[in-house]
Amino acid sequence: MSSIVQYFLSGISIGAIYSLIGLGFSIMWSASRAVNFAYGDVVMLGAVLTVIFVGYGIPLIISMPIAVFVCIVYGVLIERFAVAPFTKEVTGIGWMLSTIGIGIMLESFVTISFGSFAKPLVTPLIEKPIIILGAGIYPQELLIPIFAVTFLFCLELFYQKTLIGRAIKAVAYNQMAAGLMGINVKLMTAISFGIAAALGGGIGILIAPIVQASATMGLLLGLKGFAIAIIAGITNARGVVIMGLVYGIMEKFIEGFISSSAREAIGFSVIILLLFIFPQGIFGKKEMVKV
Amino acid sequence: MSKHNKLYPFSINILTNTLVLATSALISVTSFAQQASPCIGASLPLTGAAAFGGEAIAMGAEIAIAEINAKGGVLGKKLSLKAYDDAGQPPKGVDNVRRIALSDNCIAMLGGYHSGVQLAMRDTVAQVGIPYVGTTAGATAIIEQENGQNKWMFRVSAKDKWVAQFLVEQAVSRSKNKKVALLYENTGWGNGGKPDVEAAMKAKGLNLVALETFNWNDVDMTPQLLRVKNAGADSVIIWALDREGNQILRGMDKISYRPDNIVAAWGLAGNLGEIAGKLANGVLVFQTYIWTGKLDAKGEDVWKKLQAKYNLKTPQDIKFGSGIANSYDAVYILAQAIEKAGSFDRTKVRDAFYEINYDGLVAKYQPAFEKTQERHDAILPKYYKISAWHDGKLLPLSETPYK
Amino acid sequence: MNQRFFNTYIFWLTICLFLAIILIPNIINNAYQLRVLMLLLIYAVVALGLNLVVGLAGLVSLGQAGLLAIGAYTAAILATRFGFEFIPSMLVAMFITGIFGVILAYPTLRVKGVYLAVITIAFGIVVENIAIEWSSVTGGTTGISSIPKIALFGHSLNDTAFYYLIGTIFLIAFIAHYNIKNSRFGRSMRAATQSEIAVRSIGINPITARTLAFTLAAIFTGVAGALYAYLNSYVNPDTFRFLDSLRYLLMVILGGSGTVLGPLIGASILTYIPELFQKFGVWQYFAYGALLTLVIFIMPLGIVGTIIFWYNKFQPKRVCNSKPWPTTEPLVDALINQNKDKNNASLSIEKMTVKFGGLIANNNITEDIKSGSIHAIIGPNGAGKSTFLNCISGLYKPTGGTIFFDEKNIVGLPMHSLAKMGIARTFQNTELFSQMTVLENVLVGFHTQYKTGLIATLMRLPSFIKEEKEFHELAKALLRYVGLDEYADEEARNLPFGHQRRLEIARALAISPKILMLDEPAAGLTHSEIEDLKRFIISLSDKNITIVLVEHHVEMIMALSNTVTVLDYGIVIASGAPSQVQENPAVIEAYFGSPGVTNE
Repeated sequence: MSSIVQYFLSGISIGAIYSLIGLGFSIMWSASRAVNFAYGDVVMLGAVLTVIFVGYGIPLIISMPIAVFVCIVYGVLIERFAVAPFTKEVTGIGWMLSTIGIGIMLESFVTISFGSFAKPLVTPLIEKPIIILGAGIYPQELLIPIFAVTFLFCLELFYQKTLIGRAIKAVAYNQMAAGLMGINVKLMTAISFGIAAALGGGIGILIAPIVQASATMGLLLGLKGFAIAIIAGITNARGVVIMGLVYGIMEKFIEGFISSSAREAIGFSVIILLLFIFPQGIFGKKEMVKV
Repeated sequence: MSKHNKLYPFSINILTNTLVLATSALISVTSFAQQASPCIGASLPLTGAAAFGGEAIAMGAEIAIAEINAKGGVLGKKLSLKAYDDAGQPPKGVDNVRRIALSDNCIAMLGGYHSGVQLAMRDTVAQVGIPYVGTTAGATAIIEQENGQNKWMFRVSAKDKWVAQFLVEQAVSRSKNKKVALLYENTGWGNGGKPDVEAAMKAKGLNLVALETFNWNDVDMTPQLLRVKNAGADSVIIWALDREGNQILRGMDKISYRPDNIVAAWGLAGNLGEIAGKLANGVLVFQTYIWTGKLDAKGEDVWKKLQAKYNLKTPQDIKFGSGIANSYDAVYILAQAIEKAGSFDRTKVRDAFYEINYDGLVAKYQPAFEKTQERHDAILPKYYKISAWHDGKLLPLSETPYK
Repeated sequence: MNQRFFNTYIFWLTICLFLAIILIPNIINNAYQLRVLMLLLIYAVVALGLNLVVGLAGLVSLGQAGLLAIGAYTAAILATRFGFEFIPSMLVAMFITGIFGVILAYPTLRVKGVYLAVITIAFGIVVENIAIEWSSVTGGTTGISSIPKIALFGHSLNDTAFYYLIGTIFLIAFIAHYNIKNSRFGRSMRAATQSEIAVRSIGINPITARTLAFTLAAIFTGVAGALYAYLNSYVNPDTFRFLDSLRYLLMVILGGSGTVLGPLIGASILTYIPELFQKFGVWQYFAYGALLTLVIFIMPLGIVGTIIFWYNKFQPKRVCNSKPWPTTEPLVDALINQNKDKNNASLSIEKMTVKFGGLIANNNITEDIKSGSIHAIIGPNGAGKSTFLNCISGLYKPTGGTIFFDEKNIVGLPMHSLAKMGIARTFQNTELFSQMTVLENVLVGFHTQYKTGLIATLMRLPSFIKEEKEFHELAKALLRYVGLDEYADEEARNLPFGHQRRLEIARALAISPKILMLDEPAAGLTHSEIEDLKRFIISLSDKNITIVLVEHHVEMIMALSNTVTVLDYGIVIASGAPSQVQENPAVIEAYFGSPGVTNE
């Protein structure tokens, strides 16, 4: 019994990471039908910067917002220079390759300066595990799903109640009409990417104590997060969060009952299968084409 | 229309012509020069997640080369290191062998970090005929090849078969209930070590009670660890890198399971103490050389040079000490072999390997190599060292409170 | 670019490549460099295949490394475990990889762009992981080693002979790639990217075109994989990762997506660049990322693409004149003439209803469109005319009701099937293949009428050459028929608006339609253009083609039509001869809101 609880607890923790990353992709996609394909590297940037600042003796409380701020700047610059010029194209190769290229540069730069070794970020939340029904989980790990749900809630409030939020939603629905209504589409898109980048940096800081900060920490997480966002229906934020948690739990149960090594093969096969059945994503909307 | 008939060339006619021409053109491959250049090639992970490993190998080699050159070089010529990146990818490693041997015409080459890459290189090294001295990758099959025909590949590093025996010995001798489990990473290295550990256990008349694997970057090992815990193992052998080692220790913490004995291969010799904190205390780690703790005169000397050249403050800053030492000794053995051979002739140098006695950092090589496949490995198990993590530092076991 | 010039250029290019491949080993005496060259040619084959998918079919695939793995492992397993000789193992590798190509094409049924990219990435990762886990077959992380050297006709090949073998295979792939590109298959792939709807309207199923692209790409990659396994004499999962898939895509883009020479150039640069970048030491990966970014920003068309772009820019601008239409063209008459007796091109629409959520666009419409007549559909904006037309042409599926054509209920049949049955249409927003030439636009229309198949195309058999010539002639005749022959080599998007309409009609005629449906053909035309159009429609009707006309120009309707159907709010409010309908008070009210004066 405690094994099942363990799989479940570990699952919602890792699943929440996927949820948050998927959420970041969702925010970007909704704004401009294009994303920073190397979003995982933004997560990495947040983690690495925080570790560096803490290493210089700057207290964690101050290191965190500075790191997030740098991520926001990075995210907005990527949107302006690497994504926006390519959004008119049909295939999407333009922004895919440009953001991947920049991601490679960032990653290798970090490897060279930060080192290829993983470095820790110590917080009090990973000192002792909490035991629930015989299964153990670090408070830091529990923090992630809590943060995910809270952030989702705040995001929805933001979209519904604030002027900027509603403007962004309008841009997401119909860019041209929103522009014609006097909304500064470029600004809204940039803000969206900024929000996504802030989230990314935050994710990095959240998971660094558990995963350790390293140059390559974001790669697979980014890919999985994106895939999960797409099978959930990338425009549906709630769906993305749910899908992430479900996927994380599924991974743990595969590891528990089949084997750890089969995890990726089975997991990605499930992704392919789901996309076959639900081409718009499970919670996504079908788009009608008018001639 | 006549222009349209231009499409005719693309019919089967020209294709058959090409085929006939191609298969009838046989030019013999040019043979490589008898005299090689005084460069030592190396295929290393200069980029990628294992860059620290490639760095370590290069560091040891460069210090050794600098010392040798300061004394006048080898046969009057100065040595140099030609390091190429393989980023952990076998095809790149294979290409690097050819580049080093045929393009740069180096006298010999050093092996790199990843076992998978070295395994891929075997056929090519044999084909090309260049002395190869491994410095890190420990897979047994690199040197003890299945066809029994290894003539060119040597190693100054750990041999996983012996490492497995060493670790099993450490685990079993300390174990009270003789229940030992193995946790290994799902890579070339881990998968190569697994049968070696199983064989070593069998030789003691025992079986592993649990055999669990995991992937790089895995964050949570609790499913595997639950199975290990339920099997009742009081000793665990870990074949992993620091990052995953940390997750293992934390996973154990989460499920309230701490085996009495944890012994690990040298993957946990990096910064485990830093990232796992107190949980690392008492974890025993195999190494070929330990830079922390008390060093002998030779070690002290090399350490000073490392400090100066690479801006290291304390020995704790060294990420992969065994690699540095192995590589240092490898270069010296190679240099002596060239001297003994009397020329930069690959075959002569290879033959000279069997006659080298050398008092190195890691071991007293007497001789370095013998003419059996098994003894193409220079470092004998008696020189294997055990270290332990204690309060964030990795020290020789004797200098820690553990037994 | 002029087709004739291009053909000559390709011919000489192939000769040059052939000579280069033969001569190069004599120039470089270095066995290592020869190996790099062999790798280059293998990658070029992969890039050629991927070029079909990305450059022609406009799809993103980031999973080629997975296909390469399948090819390499198949050959490796057959060679080491079952003692297969090279040729059989290569053929099996091609076949099995080809099957996976078909499988990968399946998602393109429903997804494109980024969604497809994610599927291909997931595919690549699944293959990589299966290679790692299924160790009994694949050797797991250790891989398969000691793959024997290739032996042909009893002789084991040395390095140089192996090089010639790879060179030969590369040349075959190069020629095959060109043969596909410059054929109806290549044209239909390109057309499907530029307007999926238009391509369906002329009888081509875009899925077939995409499946073909993926399958061919997979076959190319399968061959490359087999060669790769033999070249390295070792395979393991580390070679086939996402970053490798990315590299192959970059080869296509850097060289010039969709061009003939692009894949080779891209493969060359990306094979030699790592050699070059080695000197950057630890910075080489960074340099690689910088290169990737730079290429996308500065040369999105790729090297060859950019050259072609500037070459075209510096061509002297030709002044094209359109001619009056229609003209007399015996070939065209033979093509489009419908036999009055044999032909039953009537549509019986019964109780057809179309609902979009809560909105009822067409409500219980019953109507007969008589064979050989000119039948107009008019009505105020939002009446449901376009919806009606879209249903009877197969673009939408009605929520209820039946449509009988040629004694068959065609409800639910896809548009390309209806096109093959003889229903053609044009679109309100002209759906041309904007980046293809005017001539090519019409040629695509003939796709379904070709008798020569893929094999004949690949091998350029005489039957293929003859048919290409015939259809080229026919296409030119069609262009003369609509007065656009001088524009033959112009890109469709450069045409003035009225000419674009003519082209769309010419293309629709290419499928020899029994029924031609025109969706607001007069919109945006000048007065004299409309007169031409009227004459044109009458001449088509004289050839017994049934015409369905959705229009706003009431004067044109009244002059041309045999029957007029008036829709308002989704229902038929009047139907009959023009004069009748004109006087109908319900019609007048619908248009003007109250009984009043007729319009001009």
